[in-house]
Amino acid sequence: MSNKLIELKDLTKNFDDQQVLRGINLDIYENEFLTLLGPSGCGKTTTLRIIAGFEEPSSGEVLFNGIEISKLPPYKREINTVFQKYALFPHLNVADNIAFGLNLKKVDKSVIAQKVERMLKMVGLEGFEKRDVTLLSGGQQQRVAIARALVNEPKVLLLDEPLGALDAKIRKQMQFELKKIQQEVGITFIYVTHDQEEALTMSDTVVVMNNGEIQQIGSPIDIYNEPENRFVANFIGESNIIEGVMVKDFLVEFDGFRFECVDKGFEEMEEIEVVLRPEDLDIVAPEDAKLTGVVQNTTFKGVHYEILVKTDLRIYKVQTTDYAEPGRKVGLSFEPEDVHVMYKMGAY
Amino acid sequence: MKKKSFFSRFYVVLCLAFFYLPILVTMIFSFNSSKSLTRMTGVSLRWYSELINNVEVARAVYVSLSIAILATVISTVLGTITAIGLSSHRKIVKDIVLNVNNIPILNPEIVTAIGLMLLFSSAGFRKGYLTMLLAHIAFCTPYVITSVYPKVRSLDPNLANAAMDLGATPFEALTKVIVPMIKEGVFAGALLAFTMSFDDFVISYFVTGNGVKNISIVVYNMTKRINPTINALSTIVIVVIIVVLVSVNVFLPKLEKRTDHIHPRVRRGVTIFLVAALCLGLIRCGSISSQNHVLKVYNAGEYIDLSLLDKFQEEYNCTVVYETFESNEMMYTKLASGESYDVLIPSDYMIERLIKEDYLQPLDWDLIPNASGLMEEVMDKSYDPGNKYSCPYFWGSVGILYDRNIVDQADLSEGWELLKDPKYKGDLYMYDSERDSFMIALKALGYSMNTVNEDEIREAYEWLVEQRDTMDPIYAGDDIMDNMISGNKAIAVVYSGDASYTISENPDMDYFTPNQGTNIWYDAMVMTRDCSETDLAHAFINFMIDPESAIANTEEIGYTSTVKSAYDAMLDGTYAEISSYLVDDSDPRNEIFGYQDPKIKQKYAELWTKVKAQ
Amino acid sequence: MKHYKKMIQPYVVWAALLIVIPLILIALYAFTEEGNEVLTLSFTWKNFAKFLESTYVNVVVKSFWLGIITTFLCLLLGYPLAFIISRFPEKTQATLILLVTIPEWINMLLRTYAWMNILADNGIINQLLDLLGMRPVNMMYTDFSVILGLVCNFMPFMIIPIHTSLSKMDKSLIEAAYDLGATPFQTFRKVIWKLSIPGVLNGIMMVFLLSVSTFVIPKLLGGGQYMLIGNLIESQFISVGDWNFGSAISLILAVIILIFMSLMKRMDKQEE
Repeated sequence: MSNKLIELKDLTKNFDDQQVLRGINLDIYENEFLTLLGPSGCGKTTTLRIIAGFEEPSSGEVLFNGIEISKLPPYKREINTVFQKYALFPHLNVADNIAFGLNLKKVDKSVIAQKVERMLKMVGLEGFEKRDVTLLSGGQQQRVAIARALVNEPKVLLLDEPLGALDAKIRKQMQFELKKIQQEVGITFIYVTHDQEEALTMSDTVVVMNNGEIQQIGSPIDIYNEPENRFVANFIGESNIIEGVMVKDFLVEFDGFRFECVDKGFEEMEEIEVVLRPEDLDIVAPEDAKLTGVVQNTTFKGVHYEILVKTDLRIYKVQTTDYAEPGRKVGLSFEPEDVHVMYKMGAY
Repeated sequence: MKKKSFFSRFYVVLCLAFFYLPILVTMIFSFNSSKSLTRMTGVSLRWYSELINNVEVARAVYVSLSIAILATVISTVLGTITAIGLSSHRKIVKDIVLNVNNIPILNPEIVTAIGLMLLFSSAGFRKGYLTMLLAHIAFCTPYVITSVYPKVRSLDPNLANAAMDLGATPFEALTKVIVPMIKEGVFAGALLAFTMSFDDFVISYFVTGNGVKNISIVVYNMTKRINPTINALSTIVIVVIIVVLVSVNVFLPKLEKRTDHIHPRVRRGVTIFLVAALCLGLIRCGSISSQNHVLKVYNAGEYIDLSLLDKFQEEYNCTVVYETFESNEMMYTKLASGESYDVLIPSDYMIERLIKEDYLQPLDWDLIPNASGLMEEVMDKSYDPGNKYSCPYFWGSVGILYDRNIVDQADLSEGWELLKDPKYKGDLYMYDSERDSFMIALKALGYSMNTVNEDEIREAYEWLVEQRDTMDPIYAGDDIMDNMISGNKAIAVVYSGDASYTISENPDMDYFTPNQGTNIWYDAMVMTRDCSETDLAHAFINFMIDPESAIANTEEIGYTSTVKSAYDAMLDGTYAEISSYLVDDSDPRNEIFGYQDPKIKQKYAELWTKVKAQ
Repeated sequence: MKHYKKMIQPYVVWAALLIVIPLILIALYAFTEEGNEVLTLSFTWKNFAKFLESTYVNVVVKSFWLGIITTFLCLLLGYPLAFIISRFPEKTQATLILLVTIPEWINMLLRTYAWMNILADNGIINQLLDLLGMRPVNMMYTDFSVILGLVCNFMPFMIIPIHTSLSKMDKSLIEAAYDLGATPFQTFRKVIWKLSIPGVLNGIMMVFLLSVSTFVIPKLLGGGQYMLIGNLIESQFISVGDWNFGSAISLILAVIILIFMSLMKRMDKQEE
């Protein structure tokens, strides 16, 4: 994770009158698993396609190992892609699909055969060489697509929502396998998804995007625990977002009370927003807490209960293993490190 | 990709130019002030006004359009219900039906046409509108099925059940659920059917009869004298198509939104009204013939002044169903296949054959008072001694039309051998007819053109083969005339009447009959044995040789009149300087074609095919 | 859908009457001689024997040669056009395809007449050449004019199926090929071409079928010496009057075409 492999500098992209990228700056390192995360239409796929070479940026630069490549056609880049719906060639069988890139490079047949076999083994499809790709299951097609890209030994593998078409169980399994493969081959993966869980489980770095702009770059833990703004907080996990004021470093005021926190570096009395994750909230006796309210609704969710507590000003969502019957008066408590203070949207 | 975009666009434009060039030429020349289709002489709307007055074209448009609409509606309904029904059958039934359905699509059009023609004539159908409609439905339905069936197959089989579960009757489920789901396929099929039907020539050509012609057939019959009215017609067709397409693509989506508000009952009303109007129109068209007396006349193409027909209809308060043929043989084929006509205008040898085969009934000359004006020279010929059956219509010779600026006058003495003069290699048209070609060869060799001697025929065949090999002649049909008017080649074998017309249009041309003798021919009006309107038929014949009609007719067509007063009037007037108008029947080497034994006739036909095809 | 099973009955009757019986009639005529009464029907191979004469064999050879040339040219010129069209935005594509189809709605004979006037010895092209001071070129009544007419008339039948197969092709397949290192040319050869083969075969079938059996266009643009199977059949029925021989030729043509088509279909299946 040392050398910068790809640098995106001030990328913008317009389609007709619509601006889909508004100045993307991003450094991507060797051997990194980086995820572009965001809702549909946020520009994550466009960014990926610019890196792959399918789109040219309207302005800005794409550096690969320090060399500007934004005008280089895709077939001259040491980058391969796993497509959303895999884009396997229907007229070729599994082995020929995987060997496609090597055949173009006129690699020796026996070498190709070896490499294809190794790839199939890696993705767990030994013996599938002659199969018709159109008759494979989604998960199997996925593996072929990965093998087809990796066999070319690219420096970077781009994955465009590769698990989107799979059902939940296979998805989980593939997440795990993808991470394993990335570690095995030791190259950079750039992964596009709108699924926050996927992003958090697999990535080294998560880039949250919205509306053509990067909202936050960070490790999954940072992104989850220290969302920089309301959008990130809302998009990643469930949140109680409360407007408040930063009284001074380590002290925040909201809902009419002052609370300790671990955040600093804001101006005094700056308007901010606070995130309280539902799982960080605890239900306690009303007398033990500053915030009190009445249980409005309790839903069993398997591992925990989801309890909605109505206070004077708002409704808090709480996830806890303790049961609380609706109508009961309760208190809410949390630790200072659970109070995440964010810049207010718009002031950013 | 982007680098190539200029080249790509250029290529698209080039291809479209290739497709649209002929259409553009058609449109431009529809505004030409003269008849020429190659030289713009001025801008006028002359052909548009002629088009409006042209009853034949108007009828053809009606036939094309109504057949296309009916065939589209019927084949779409038939094809759609078949496709829906088919989907729930066992595989073997599906396979059989789909394979049979594929036959008309995969079979060459001409084979389909012939199959249908054989069917209609052996079933004794009266050929015409109905047979054409049936044939069109027959070749349109398979296209509808092939475009609807895949859509039906992709439907959830439970759809109909779901609808019926919710209380729909099977019919409601069909119209409210299934058909809307497959309407794209139905629409595509209907569009295809309409296109196929509207533009069809081959199948219509073989299955029609009784004067029912669609646009294609009218156009095909116009080859002889290409008539710019048809350019005007096609310009209108093009404009209509473009307007329809533009409105479908631009206005329909808007209109659909608007009509959504209109009560369904109103919409249904409009539909019913349109259908009813169409049916009424059809009935009206069908009933034209039953209102009053009808005379069915069968003549060669472009062989009458059409205004005479109107005049006759007015004068005698009757309807003339006028149909044209391309050759005597074609006329015979139609007649033999069971078509019925009242008056025919075939050539001498064909009349002889028709008499022999008992197709005709004798004329009552008392009913033809104008006969006294007929020239003596045209009466009592070998094909019908005493003119028992036939009243001469036009007459003439076969000769050589040549460009005076190119052909040396001295070479004319070569007679028919001029056609083998290497000086004019690649510069001549032969008439694509075995009869006339063999006549030339036999005359050039000094034989009778009515020979049955196999050796002489063989020699003539060799003469023609040699000519083909040394001269590269073009064996053209009736398009020779238009080509010669444009001066495309120096020499052509033509009938004298066509020569007169050509010379009147292009004064560089002249005509001569070779000194080895030629064919003197007579075309005459005869009455068929089945003719029931004998009075009207006689009236028609009498009308055509009335001096006034005869002048109009000969002036328009250029063929030599058989009516003395008209003949003289022309020699003094329009065709005064034109030698081909004058028919010289005095040379003893000139002959009339006689009846040919079918065996000999087929021999000629075969040899002629060989001359052309080798 | 079981309720609708019976709905095929009208068409079954119809197809039997108007598709199957005509074919049987053609076969009947082909195997008999003129003047045969139904009661004394006797079959003969004579009509087929006659067909084996060199003249007629030449006609068939020429027809197929012309069909192959026309099909080849339509493919050569039509594929790039279909390909270029399929690269335009969808709306433009629809318009362009419409533009390709419209000429087919204008009477084929009329378009052919227009070509006659364009190509004639004193026609529009030669007049233009004359204006430019160049020698006239003889174009009418040659292979050139016939093939030109056929290509102009039949090329849309090649373009449309190819365009359909190209436009429904998943664009990401092309990107995938680029991504895996294929140059545009390699992408075309290894992916686009391969995937468009069903459309190409469809187009070939259509154009070949139309051009091998045509008789109007060769007659008008090629003159009487342009004897093709279609002309031969037409002349047997219309002018010679030998319906039996004409039926025999039709039958042979139909059989050859059906064999050809089933071969193409088989190729198509293999491709899939």
